[in-house]
Amino acid sequence: MKARLLLLLFLLSCFGILKSQIVDDFLGDEGLFYSETKQINQFFRRFNNEEAPDGIRYYKRDKEYRNPATREKYLDMLFNLQNSALTESLRNIFKADVINKDSSRFLNFHSDGWFAEVKTRFSYKGEDKFVTFFLELEQENMGYKWVITNVYFEPFAEVFFEKKSDSSKFLHPMSHEIDFMNLIRVFNNQTYIDNYTLKSFQADFLTLFLYEFKQGYFEFKYVEDLKFHFFQIPGWYFEIEQFVRSDYNSGWLISKLTKISQEEKSILLKYIYHN
Amino acid sequence: MKLKFIILTIIGLFSLSSIAQEEISPERKQAIDSLALEKVKDLSKYISIIGNKETSFSEANRVIERTLELFDDNSQIGVSSLYRKEVKYYPVRKYLNRLMALNYDKVNIKWYNIQYISDLERQPDGTFVGVITIYQRFEGMQGDDLKYVDTTKKDITIYVKRKETIIGGRTIGFWDVILGDIRVAETSKN
Repeated sequence: MKARLLLLLFLLSCFGILKSQIVDDFLGDEGLFYSETKQINQFFRRFNNEEAPDGIRYYKRDKEYRNPATREKYLDMLFNLQNSALTESLRNIFKADVINKDSSRFLNFHSDGWFAEVKTRFSYKGEDKFVTFFLELEQENMGYKWVITNVYFEPFAEVFFEKKSDSSKFLHPMSHEIDFMNLIRVFNNQTYIDNYTLKSFQADFLTLFLYEFKQGYFEFKYVEDLKFHFFQIPGWYFEIEQFVRSDYNSGWLISKLTKISQEEKSILLKYIYHN
Repeated sequence: MKLKFIILTIIGLFSLSSIAQEEISPERKQAIDSLALEKVKDLSKYISIIGNKETSFSEANRVIERTLELFDDNSQIGVSSLYRKEVKYYPVRKYLNRLMALNYDKVNIKWYNIQYISDLERQPDGTFVGVITIYQRFEGMQGDDLKYVDTTKKDITIYVKRKETIIGGRTIGFWDVILGDIRVAETSKN
């Protein structure tokens, strides 16, 4: 409640300055749009306190650039305050870590430690299906591009996750002496085929997707949802999503936040990638 | 306002320095932002003309051609509504042709005095790319009655390319702005 009040006061003070700039031809009531975190770019800038309330970029030479006092107010705006799991105490611990005087933490667009999860709709063999893509930024020449690093597709998972284990299904160690003629028993049954692979075998869904896409089984329809996973702040994980609503607390906001150890990070990554 | 824009463009965009110098200073970024916003305003103006029933067919087609000149080839417009997650994609020409076919006597496009202009990021091919976010209210009128109103958030891709022109026998480098894909998302309907 206190955070909401502070946020409102902060925005109203910004809006007071900006109101004088409104030109007659324009519609009024821009307050909600000012407060909305309109782009991921703005999320980074607000998180780091690298822009003014009117969206004008601060550069290193500017006094306000990364100013910790204003930064705290910006950070307050960047949580989805309608999520009761993001308690005030959790947010405060996070903010204290991020604005720590000795080692402030900032987000970096070009660094590792964040990626996109894009939920898309495709027509797959004539049926509507979701395909989830994971994308990361990759440097090429002097520029950057988003690249697909992983895919999750439910029909693939149904085939590969339900591994039917049967200890009697193996190729005996002298199979080579008989020219592996016993492969006939491996390939006459689709159910147990996984038993003949390495214990550590994991299907690569991206390869499968590319193969089937090239076969013409997939037809893209549209992007349905988008979120971003961040591991850039040491000891923390957070997720951001877009909240479209008539509220000062809207746009790209932190929807999930949790303290995380290095070990938990690898577990969480497996969970995100559905591995 | 127009004069200020022209001066800004001349100071900020033209440079006698070598074409190889490709970093964008804060001052130049500001000039590029102004040019990009002018192009976005041109787009809105053209959309109003195309959507207006009083505009003749030949005039509307002429304006469509001018609108297309603002865009990079193969640009798409992706439209979604408040209550439907499905995004419909239209090539710019198709989007404009559909707009021309709408049955409104008049189309008003009003702006909210707020825009957000992202940083410019360099792509692998050396072109810089950014996104401008604007909010607009679309009003479709029939006679004096409002037939359709919605407020949309438009995220407009801008490409910024270094080009050269010859003025008075001298080769001068400048930054040109061209529009790309546009994501249109409805934020309210009233």
